[in-house]
Amino acid sequence: MASSYPPPFDDPGEVREGFLCPLCLKDLQSFYQLQSHYEEEHSSEDRDVKGQLKSLVQKAKKAKKKLLKRESDDRADAGSQERYESFSYGGVDPYMWEPQELGAMRSHLSDFKKHRAARIDHYVVEVNKLIIRLEKLTSFDRANTESAKIRAIEKSVVPWVSDQDVPFCPDCGNKFSIRNRRHHCRLCGSIMCKKCMELVTLPLASKLTSASKEALASHTSPNSSPNSIQGSRRGSISSVSSVSSVLDEKDDDRIRCCRHCKGTLLKREQQIDEREFTPEIVKLYEKLRLCMEKIDQKAPEYIRTAESLNAGETTYSLEHANDLRIEIQKVYELIDALSKKILTLGLNEDPQPHPKTLQLQRMIRYSATLFVQEKLLGLMSLPTKDRYEELKEKRKQELERKLQMAALETQRKQEEKQKDMVSRSSAALNGEVPHLKKATVKNSEGWLPTSSVSRQREIADPLLQQIDNITSFIKQAKAANRIDEVRMLQENLRQLQDEYDQQQTEKAIELSKRQAEEEEMQREELQVLCEKEWEREQHKAMSQHLRTRSLDFREIKQHQHEVGKDNQNLIAHILDLDTTQIKSSPSSKTPSPNAAEQLASKEKTVFSIKTGEASQCDRDQNQTSLNPFEDEAATTLIDEDSTNPFAEDAAQVMSFPTKALYNDKKEYNPFENDEEDEETNGAAVSSPNPFKGDGDPFQKGRSVQNSGNPFDESSSTNPFEVDEEISGEEVIEEELLLQQIDNIKAYIFDAKHSGRMDEVEVLTENLKDLKRTLAKQKEKSNC
Amino acid sequence: MNVVFAVKQYVSKMIEDSGPGMKVLLMDKETTSIVSMVYTQSEILQKEVYLFERIDSSNRETMKHLKAICFLRPTKENVEYLIQELRRPKYSIYFVYFSNVICKSDVKSLAEADEQEVVAEVQEFYGDYIAVNPHVFSLNLLGCCQGRNWDAAQLSRTTQGLTALLLSLKKCPMIRYQLSSESAKRLAECVKQVITKEYELFDFRRTEVPPLLLILDRSDDAITPLLNQWTYQAMVHELLGINNNRIDLSRVPGISKDLREVVLSAENDEFYANNMYLNFAEIGSNIKNLMEDFQKKKPKEQQKLESIADMKAFVENYPQFKKMSGTVSKHVTVVGELSRLVSERNLLEVSEVEQELACQNDHSSALQNMRRLLQNPKVTEFDAARLVMLYALHYERHSSNSLPGLMMDLKNKGVSEKYRKLVSAVVEYGGKRVRGSDLFSPKDAVSITKQFLKGLKGVENVYTQHQPLLHETLDQLIKGKLKDNQYPYLGPSTLRDRPQDIIVFVIGGATYEEALTVYNLNRTNPGVRIVLGGTTVHNTKSCFLSSAGFNRMGGILPRSVLMAFCFPSKKLNDLILKHSISTCTCSPFLQ
Repeated sequence: MASSYPPPFDDPGEVREGFLCPLCLKDLQSFYQLQSHYEEEHSSEDRDVKGQLKSLVQKAKKAKKKLLKRESDDRADAGSQERYESFSYGGVDPYMWEPQELGAMRSHLSDFKKHRAARIDHYVVEVNKLIIRLEKLTSFDRANTESAKIRAIEKSVVPWVSDQDVPFCPDCGNKFSIRNRRHHCRLCGSIMCKKCMELVTLPLASKLTSASKEALASHTSPNSSPNSIQGSRRGSISSVSSVSSVLDEKDDDRIRCCRHCKGTLLKREQQIDEREFTPEIVKLYEKLRLCMEKIDQKAPEYIRTAESLNAGETTYSLEHANDLRIEIQKVYELIDALSKKILTLGLNEDPQPHPKTLQLQRMIRYSATLFVQEKLLGLMSLPTKDRYEELKEKRKQELERKLQMAALETQRKQEEKQKDMVSRSSAALNGEVPHLKKATVKNSEGWLPTSSVSRQREIADPLLQQIDNITSFIKQAKAANRIDEVRMLQENLRQLQDEYDQQQTEKAIELSKRQAEEEEMQREELQVLCEKEWEREQHKAMSQHLRTRSLDFREIKQHQHEVGKDNQNLIAHILDLDTTQIKSSPSSKTPSPNAAEQLASKEKTVFSIKTGEASQCDRDQNQTSLNPFEDEAATTLIDEDSTNPFAEDAAQVMSFPTKALYNDKKEYNPFENDEEDEETNGAAVSSPNPFKGDGDPFQKGRSVQNSGNPFDESSSTNPFEVDEEISGEEVIEEELLLQQIDNIKAYIFDAKHSGRMDEVEVLTENLKDLKRTLAKQKEKSNC
Repeated sequence: MNVVFAVKQYVSKMIEDSGPGMKVLLMDKETTSIVSMVYTQSEILQKEVYLFERIDSSNRETMKHLKAICFLRPTKENVEYLIQELRRPKYSIYFVYFSNVICKSDVKSLAEADEQEVVAEVQEFYGDYIAVNPHVFSLNLLGCCQGRNWDAAQLSRTTQGLTALLLSLKKCPMIRYQLSSESAKRLAECVKQVITKEYELFDFRRTEVPPLLLILDRSDDAITPLLNQWTYQAMVHELLGINNNRIDLSRVPGISKDLREVVLSAENDEFYANNMYLNFAEIGSNIKNLMEDFQKKKPKEQQKLESIADMKAFVENYPQFKKMSGTVSKHVTVVGELSRLVSERNLLEVSEVEQELACQNDHSSALQNMRRLLQNPKVTEFDAARLVMLYALHYERHSSNSLPGLMMDLKNKGVSEKYRKLVSAVVEYGGKRVRGSDLFSPKDAVSITKQFLKGLKGVENVYTQHQPLLHETLDQLIKGKLKDNQYPYLGPSTLRDRPQDIIVFVIGGATYEEALTVYNLNRTNPGVRIVLGGTTVHNTKSCFLSSAGFNRMGGILPRSVLMAFCFPSKKLNDLILKHSISTCTCSPFLQ
């Protein structure tokens, strides 16, 4: 029995053997059949069967525990997999169903237009008829014409319905009599009673007729079809003289008409009004949308830049990013201001606007707030200048580490290969010509140490040493006419060469790094700099030396140069320098001078960034200020810097770049300036600025920050400008405060709106603080 | 097959087609709920839709600087309203979309009303159903049947909703229906009729295996909506009620103003999307994590903002903080309320007995447990009546049926007349006489095997033993084993392959437990996509109402169910503290 049980657990549908009924012991084909057998044959013994089944279950439970456990494990695995993969072998989470096309739809527009056109034609004809008649009625000088003549003209415009035909007023149903007289509509000729009669004033008439003339003249856009249709249709008939405006309000100055004609005319008037009228909200709204579009364009660019800068990359300049940030922030302010204006539109008017209008305004404001909040959230802040330097450092170090790793790797390989080669070459020689081999091997072995020793005196670099060794190897091999060996050696040499290039680059990087550090510290004396320059000259000489060598070597094998080039590119790529620059540089043919070239370019970048940062300090201060003049000043400053010829000089000369960096006035002797800078730095560090040190927390924070950051100071604190700068700064602080207050107010409004009272409390507290600060500030500036 | 996406695409298309500029969305009562299920206000605001108006509202102002997008059901009243609107247009230009097939004569009368040529578009966009989840839709119809037969208006609305669904998903299905239900057959015929009539519309690219529409009747499984649920979405609906993704918390006194009504939408609420199918215990721990996460980000309230940097950080972080605090306070409140109700109403114990009644066949033990619970003063009359209903449904024909005794117990407990009457109403609605398939002791071999296997494994979780009948039905359908004599095809052709795209529609309403079942089936069956729909999405209360033949929610709603609880402090801080304790203490599943 027990043996017949296990199969159903695997797959009840497939296993088809050994199913015995526990009651009658009849062999059934499948578990299903066993079950149905129970149901059919032993249904009366229902309980009994179940009891038996239960006992079987108990048995089977033990036997099958393992199997089931595995099964459930599998299922759990599948479940977790599905959670992450939408296309796992199992089913798919409905949330991840593949996108579907837009559902079915059906347009009724052509049908609709067909029906409408039929109707519209009729309507338009009606209106046009009335307007033309109105024109005729007003085309003569009514005031100076006899009433009988007027009547004659009026009758000529439209045939009047004869009195006899109309015994009752068609509108109100009153009987006409001597007291209730008939009146004719001058526009359609129908009859009505005095009560039902309407009047069209001359100004209204002239407005309607002239509007249609205008429509004809200016050919309004084809989209506003009803009007243009009317215009063109009327155009063929209209030959209208000027309308005399009569001011006296006699009965004759108005044109009698029926209700229906008046209604049609009024509708027309309304249309004319609407066409010409653009409400204030639309104008503001359009501006608002423009701003939003601008943000949508600029924000991604900024985010990309900021991300790159925050990662310490040098692809973008910090200065440019700051420009962008300021620009974006200004647009945000504009959005804020515009939406606020929309919100308060018409609030002071009497009567108050319709609640729906107010709702619309609120919604626009709300969506603008949402927009700003959402987008501002994504707007990460830029690193400060110092921080950026740090980031760059970090990145550089990382890169260097990588480079070193790579270098070590190649070195290791190199050594291995060399060993390998030596042993192999000896082995190969062994097999070839024994007596010759002995000589060469001896020769090479004997010669090698001496050469390296002799070299060691000149060149400390073990790599160069190796290169030399190998070159001599090659020579020997060549002399011995062993091409295989020559090739191998050449390969080796090339690798060594690459290695050396890499090292050289690293050195260059290190050097530039060190220089950057020195710049930052501003402790470097000119003397040291000169030494440096000398050092560099040495370096150059060294690399020159190498170049000749490598050129030599190129004669042997030309393709090696290409490999070397590749290598350079790789390095350049890693360094995140401008690859094209390096590629195009003529010296790229030789790797080692290129290292110097890279150094130069590196320094150029450093320089340009420095100048950017110098101006960025200004930026930082007036980042959020609204004052356009300060911004302009900042931009001009940058312009100056970037166009500064001295910058190029510095990069070329490379001896005084550090000085040039902080040199605002290019005509100054760099040495003098250096001293000045140092003086101002000293001042900034030692004594807190008297203008700021009044215990105001914000100011304090600022000044502490400044003094802790001598570069901010040195860049902007030209001794001649100190006063202006500081007063400017105060303005900025105020602006910033005001802006923050505005922000907080907006949040309070928002929080109140949604009923979060606790938040409101906190915010109000903040607001108070800010206001107090602002008051203090104002007092101070007044003093 | 994603119904939420289908409707959303329609709405997006409408808005896009109207071009830039300020817009107003003009809707009727039903389309308002349809749109609100797929779009949030802030989402739609970004598309320049600033006002939402009802076509029947008289309080609309003329605003010629707005474009109007009209999304309306093609009812007579709506057409009439629209005609009035077009005669005196309040907006500059109208884009008219109907949610279903509109007759030609209506188009004509609309065209004739448009003398000012303000209409720029007239289209049919078939978003005529409420998209609840990507795989669940509802028509929000309560009490769709009178007795065993369709109410004519409801039948036509259901047909419209179902055909709109097919059109929006671009499916022209084969139809199967439940033979034991007359209404299922009627509906199937009506749908077929529409497909035949509008054959041009239903002319979609043929798929290898045609999609399948399966129409079922609630009365076949009256058990499922009577059970207490323990997964988040289902539980919220059972205990608090979800109406168009909205939960009314206003009966929780002392609740802050912005939490009176909260929206739970998986589309916009990540936490909800990740947790809606998890059980209560898991949610308890997840919400704890959420709060911890939140507290890290929370600015210190008393912190003085000393420097500009502090200020800036505060202002920059504030919106994010606010957003998160919204999510946190919402879920904390909801879960807090749930856990309170669970302990107040002794639901764990009740649920255990419910599951026993629904899934096991041990009469005497069930009866004993029920008697014990009925004595418990903590068990509400609502839950007591529910237990008796389950008993009545299960042991309707049992030899030692002691329903009269239980009814006496109910009376002694003070359960009101209307609840007691419901017991017999439920039996009449979903009793053995009505059922086409056997709910409790399945004769089908596969299900016996299943039950058998379950017995082997032992019960994993006493509170979630129950598998709705729908699971069985769909499982067989997927395997191509669903019996043709119980679920015949409409028309001569039959499906030879296993079905791939399946639409299940339950007349009388689906439940969230079934939604979960379908969700799991979707996830475990490769190549199969199932969408579940119903005339409504039930919880026990709404099921009571429909089964009792009530048409409106009216005054029967047991207020005691929603008896409120006062939070002593409105402060978020306190809320968090409170619920972090309460949600963690009541975690029966964490074992």
